[in-house]
Amino acid sequence: MHSNNILWIIIRRMRTPFLVIILTFSITIIGLVLIPGVDANGKPYHMNFLDAFYFVSFMASTIGFGEIPYEFTYAQRLWVLFSIYVAVIGWFYAIGTLVALIQDKKLLTELKISKFTKRVASLKEPFVIILGYNHTTKELINKLSQDGKRIVVIDKNQDKVDELELENFIPEVYAISADTTAPDTLRLAGIKKRNCKALITLFDNDFKNTKVALLAKLLNKNINIVVKSTTKEQTEHLRNLGIKNIIDPFLLVANRFGLALSKPNLWILEMLIFGHDLYIRDYEALPKGKYIICGYGRMGKALREALDKANVECAFIDLKSAVHKSKKQSAIFGDAEDYNTLLEAGTKEASAIISATKDDLINLTILLTAKKINPNIYTIARENTIDDITIFNSAKIDRVYILEEIISEHAHKLVSKPLTYRFLQEIYKQSDEWGKNLTNKLKKETNYNPEIFEIRVVKSQAFALTNYLKDGHSVNLGLLARSLEDRTKRSNILFLMVKNRKEEVTLLPDDNYEVKVSDRILVASTYEAKNDFLTLINNYNEFFYVVEGHDYKFGILNKLLKD
Amino acid sequence: MNAQKVISGFFIILAMTLNFGFFYGDIDNFSHHSPYELFVAIVVNFIATILKLGDKTQLGSVLLATSLVADIQLIAAAVVWGISLYVADNGIQDGAQIIVSLSGGALLANFVSVILFMGDTLKSKR
Repeated sequence: MHSNNILWIIIRRMRTPFLVIILTFSITIIGLVLIPGVDANGKPYHMNFLDAFYFVSFMASTIGFGEIPYEFTYAQRLWVLFSIYVAVIGWFYAIGTLVALIQDKKLLTELKISKFTKRVASLKEPFVIILGYNHTTKELINKLSQDGKRIVVIDKNQDKVDELELENFIPEVYAISADTTAPDTLRLAGIKKRNCKALITLFDNDFKNTKVALLAKLLNKNINIVVKSTTKEQTEHLRNLGIKNIIDPFLLVANRFGLALSKPNLWILEMLIFGHDLYIRDYEALPKGKYIICGYGRMGKALREALDKANVECAFIDLKSAVHKSKKQSAIFGDAEDYNTLLEAGTKEASAIISATKDDLINLTILLTAKKINPNIYTIARENTIDDITIFNSAKIDRVYILEEIISEHAHKLVSKPLTYRFLQEIYKQSDEWGKNLTNKLKKETNYNPEIFEIRVVKSQAFALTNYLKDGHSVNLGLLARSLEDRTKRSNILFLMVKNRKEEVTLLPDDNYEVKVSDRILVASTYEAKNDFLTLINNYNEFFYVVEGHDYKFGILNKLLKD
Repeated sequence: MNAQKVISGFFIILAMTLNFGFFYGDIDNFSHHSPYELFVAIVVNFIATILKLGDKTQLGSVLLATSLVADIQLIAAAVVWGISLYVADNGIQDGAQIIVSLSGGALLANFVSVILFMGDTLKSKR
């Protein structure tokens, strides 16, 4: 439909110029044919249509080959004089319109839309639609691209789209500037396509997110919708719409915080999943004792719930960044009055202080002031945008929670690593004792820096294993954990979770767990063991060596010998 | 009264009548077929074509198609005329039948165009 639009725009604009050219040409041609001339011998003659058309064509385009076929009479010259002005002006008018058309904004937009549509239509792999291009989604695109996911981005702002194009993501990310909350735009981005797997909307504005989520749900009920929501009411709304993947950054931070205080071993596991190693340095562990929270907004409230749950004593300073800025006429915290506020809240004897306002500069200055009062206090900051990371780093803040990063991490796991995400949800339900056992096991098996990865038992990911299972054999997990060098030994591998076809999960399956086709397995292992494991499940020779004790025998001869 | 309808109706019908005027007459006798009439028929056909551009409806597309057919047939007739008169050896008599029958084809297309145009007009309730 859109390539048609381009044609219509051109046709509409070119109608008048075409009419002008036809009229001027026909009038001048008729005149030349009718007016009698004189040939080389002085005999009267009439120009024929071919000569006239030829003459007018080169005259109008100002090429000017001269008077043909014979020199003109004065009557002819008078007519040609008139013709020059009429035809040349008509010609230039048409050319001018055409040139203006090429630069026409509407036409260019249509051209862009048609290019975008073609590219989206040509996507054969599964892809993800991301709405809005900003720090959060940029991080997310980077992560998803590393997993080889194809991405389509819509942003309202053309500048953002240009910025994205300069980034040169691989594989290429298709982007367009259009109204993100319009159903037409979503359709343009391919939401109705079967290989559209997910839609991610992480705007700051909750209403916008809900609107898009609702539209997406109506347009395609099979896709995975990842929505950001920052209030309980909004989350409730979204749940009622049947949307499962809701990211509330404040809740996530608070959970992480509560986990670190009450179930530190589970916290270590969570950190591991998000790319940290198993070794926890002294400064990373949260101290015991009294906490002070500055800022009592959405994040402050969520933190309070987490601290209450963990039975940690805490004090609040109700501070709103906007109010503070208008009252003090500055974005800095730390004059005499502020100093006293901190003192009154008990900064001297507190063991940690959290600054959780919406403004990064205020957050930073709160912590710097607190450090002046109590040099040993543990400082925790909420960082709103990734851009400010260098300032926070150089200010030597003990722990920084970067909201944008947390959002993008979670969205990435939700879309690209569903099993890992599920594992995360499962470990939250466990006790700290369970977490301790698992971390110890992990440390023993895989050292401090295990690789966490997920595979699915299908031909494309586990060729040998899948075929073997399809032949009717049974394989248990213990076999898959054996070493390629010596099948009697175990390699450094640990199976964290298995999800079967019915979506039932088994946490930490034991060696007797029987693997079935299309199971999803979450694995933790050393880098070397990962490579070995992937070779094992894909390569026939290695697989048969480990499972049956000999190399794979194939061919007719082998079959005959067997019989 | 709709001024646009008057103008487009005028050119569409004029295209047909001029076409007919050129076509009518002995197929061999070139004194019955004026080159001026062919020229004007071509020009009016062009104008009719352009007036039909930009109508996105189904009928508009078919109308445009009939005009394009007529244009091509008439241009072909003019080209054959030019070639037989100035390039071929035997003069106009060689191409005479071709020219007239080509314009006959264009006449048919113009006729269809007028019928469609009338149908559209009769259907209109305003």
